[in-house]
Order: sequence, then C-alpha cells, then structure tokens
Amino acid sequence: MSLLDIDDLDAGYGDIKVLSGIHLHVEDGEYVTVVGPNGAGKSTVMKAIVGIASCLSGTVTFRGTDIAGMAPEEIVHEGIGYVPQSNNVFPTLTVEENLRIGAYVLETVPEERKQAVYDRFPVLADRTDEKAGSLSGGQQQMLAMGCALMLDPDVLLLDEPSAGLAPDLVGDMFDRIDTINDAGTTVLMVEQNAKEALRRCDRGYVLANGENRYEDDGDALLNDEEVRQQFLGG
Amino acid sequence: MGLLQNIIFGVITGSYIAIAAIGFNLIYGIVNMINFAYGEYLTLGAFIGLFAATALPIPLPVAVLVAMAGGGLVSIVLARAFFTPINQTGPVPLLLTSIGLGIALRNAIRLVAGREARYYDTETTTFRFDAVPDLSVGSVDLLGGFFVTSKQLIVVASAVAVFVAIYGLLTRTDVGIAMRAMGDDESLARVRGIDTQLIRDSVWVLAGILAGLSGVLLAIQTNVSATTGFSQILQILSAAILGGAGSPYGAIVGAYLIGIVLALSTAFLPSGMSGLSSAIAFGILILVLLVKPSGIAGAEVREA
Repeated sequence: MSLLDIDDLDAGYGDIKVLSGIHLHVEDGEYVTVVGPNGAGKSTVMKAIVGIASCLSGTVTFRGTDIAGMAPEEIVHEGIGYVPQSNNVFPTLTVEENLRIGAYVLETVPEERKQAVYDRFPVLADRTDEKAGSLSGGQQQMLAMGCALMLDPDVLLLDEPSAGLAPDLVGDMFDRIDTINDAGTTVLMVEQNAKEALRRCDRGYVLANGENRYEDDGDALLNDEEVRQQFLGG
Repeated sequence: MGLLQNIIFGVITGSYIAIAAIGFNLIYGIVNMINFAYGEYLTLGAFIGLFAATALPIPLPVAVLVAMAGGGLVSIVLARAFFTPINQTGPVPLLLTSIGLGIALRNAIRLVAGREARYYDTETTTFRFDAVPDLSVGSVDLLGGFFVTSKQLIVVASAVAVFVAIYGLLTRTDVGIAMRAMGDDESLARVRGIDTQLIRDSVWVLAGILAGLSGVLLAIQTNVSATTGFSQILQILSAAILGGAGSPYGAIVGAYLIGIVLALSTAFLPSGMSGLSSAIAFGILILVLLVKPSGIAGAEVREA
C-alpha cells in the first residue's frame, strides 16, 4: 500500500473545479515531483491533500485513511507536513514562535527537533528572536520548512520551494531538500522549475489543465521528446 | 491647576480607555471585526460589578472579579449568538450587526436599570502634593501642586497589571501565540493545526473580561448609567485605530495619547470651546492616519 494515494480526484475551490480525475501515489521514502505549466493545478493538488481546496469526488488515502474532505486542522494530526508557496510563515511572530506554532498540535515543543531545525538551517539559529517578516525570502522558506519538520512528518509537501528565491539560492534550496529526503523523509514537491525538479526527484508527474499528462521516473521524463517539446521548452 | 495635574487626569482617563482598547483591538486583529457594541460590554460589566457589590453584597475587589467574569460571559454568549453564525460574511455585515446589537443592548439596559446614574459605594483617600513649585510659562503653569486619589491610583495600577498580563499571555502561552498567529494569517493557522474557532472564542472571553474591568474602573471613578460604555466607544475606537489597528500594544499608546489630549483640551481651551475637546482628539487621529495609515504601531498591510 502506498503512503499517499490519490485516486480519481476532482477538486477545486467552492463550485469551481480545477482538478479532474487526478491519480498520484507516493511511496515511503520517495521523492516525487509534480510539474506543469502555470494554471495546471499543481498547487491545488497540494491544497486538496491538506484540506484547503475542496475535494469534490475521488479519494485521498494517507496511510490507509481517506482524508479527502477533512479540515486542515485535522489533517495536520495525520503526519503530513505542508509548506505553502507564499505567506508560509507568521510575519509578526519571531522565528522561535513560528517553530513553536509548527509544533502546536503536540503536547510539548520537541526541543531536539527544534535543535535539529537550527542545525539544518544555522541562519535561523542566529535570528531566533527576530520577526519572521524581517527575514529574507530564502530564510522565510527555510523557516517554513523548519515549521513543517517540527512534526517529524511522514511526508513533506513542498509547494514551489524555489519561488521568489534569488537565482543563486535555488540550487542551495534543492540541495537542502535532497538532504531532507536522504535523511528518510518522504517528499512530494510541486515545482515551476521543472528541469531541476525532475533531475533531483525519483519520480515525476506532468499536469496540464488539471489532468494527468505524463508519469515516469524523473530522468525518463527529462529525456522524453514529447515532454521536452511541450513542457520543458525543447 | 497646572499642566502636571491635567496630564495626571489624562493618564487616568487613558488607563481605562487602554484596558478597553486592548480588548477592542484583539477582536479587530484576530476576529477581524469592528465591534461597535463593545461599549455596552463596559456598561454591563459595570452594572454586574455594582450588583455584586451592593445587592449581594460582597467586597469590592471580589465584585470587580465578578464583573470581569460577567463581562467575559456576556461577550462569548453574544458572540456565539450574533457574530459567529455570520463570521464568513466579512467585516461589513459584522460591523452593522454590532451597531444594531449595541442599540438593542443599550435600550435593554435602560429599560431594566432606568435612566439615572448609579454610584459605587467607595471610600477614597486623596493624596495632595502642594509643595511642588509653580513653573509658569505665559498663562500656563507647567508644574504646580497636584493631587491623586486612591481610586485613581487603583485605575492606573490595574492598567499596568493588565499590560503585563496581556504581554505575558501573547508571548509566553500557546493560546496567546496562536492568537497572534491567527491575526497574521488564518489560513496558515489552520494548516498548523490551530482550532480557529477555539481561539476566536478565547479572544471573545478575554475581550469581555477587559471590558468588564474597564467598565467597573470607569464606574468607580464616576458613575454608571445605561450610556456609560457608549459614551466611551468613540474614544476606545480612536485609541485602537490611532495606536495601530489590531495591535494591542499600539492600543496602549493610542489610549494615553487620546486621554492626555482630551484632558489638556478640556483644561486649556477657552470655556466656550471646551465642548470641542473630543473634536481635537479625533483631529489628531485623522492627522496621524494621514501620515501613517496603519497607525502608530500598525504593521503594513500584507499582500494576500
């Protein structure tokens, strides 16, 4: 059984359907990416999994439980860590307070995990009492990942982690994601930067107009003539 | 009376406005509504305290706690009945509902309690400091002898205690940090597992407790009638907006500014113009907002 299994999912916002008949599965320990043009519905896949977008039909099965239709504040208990694309930290809270809210659903703040986040992102350790809103875009992205890692999630959902980063920081961000995956955390990532994402991942999905188009190993998709022509700019 | 005495009056007025303005701004920042019925919560708190102190009767400090608890209860019951059901409709329906609720509450209180003002039975000690020398500049005496009463000291001490408690709550406790998180971004708060309805309810209770305390302190200083809270709502609203919409700390700064400006304009304007003192307070509000629309301590509005 897959860790995460999306079957024939229609999802959207209110009555507006964005995704139709989406299939997607993620196995334990895998690094899976979803790419596709603007408006393909990539982010909506993420939002449907965590309960922000509404699931109209189909199932989202996580560890054997159908979580489609559950509220975001319930799904967070299931072991899914989500890093939204933008506005993913609380700007008037300090770095430390953001991490504390990251562990909000736990009884106590797990100090060793917080230390692990600071070890992973030392720049945050130097700024524990600064407001998250005063951090740079890259630092905010690290903090947002740190918040999600506070729950030691079974799967980490990353929505466009390279968006808004200075070009020279993008490679560094992908390196960090590799490290997180190498340490055993399953990763499902949506990315605009399709070539780099497919190069890094185990498997990839190409979405267009809210539907599945291609699905294969990352390298295979990179080398597929049709995918290159249509989605990777030749 | 010298300038010093009038500044002291302003600080006292600012103190009970500040307590209420913190509550008002917590609702504004976290529940995202302007609650125009909030003045009535002060009135209800003051009457509950009066009832507890005179009809039961219990000692005044206990009656103050009863008024605070009563304010919290009134606030959460009214919110659950009138505001929570239309929470998704946005700020304007919520504002209009609160205006209507305020009118209804005010008249209901008048029907039950009558029109006349009631007084708390308290004793007060006056501390005089007549030895302070005059320091006249033109017709204004900058120093001069002054007095404070024990009641006034209680008001200021209560306000300071509230500031410390609110700061501790908002920075040291999970529920307080969750309140601020929700004020920042409700959708992200849900993703992080925050039960937003629970936090909203906590804010209502907290704001009601603060209104109850502010109402009792106001009533002990002066008196309580059906319009006690309503006559303060514009000052509370101005203090809250002046300090920074949604910011509890800004509300404190705004409240003392409004309090001192009101006191000084009452004291130093020519007698025929003393009715203009609130107009001057609001003039300052307008000026500050023209220069800094988000208020003194307000954050810049975040792009959605």
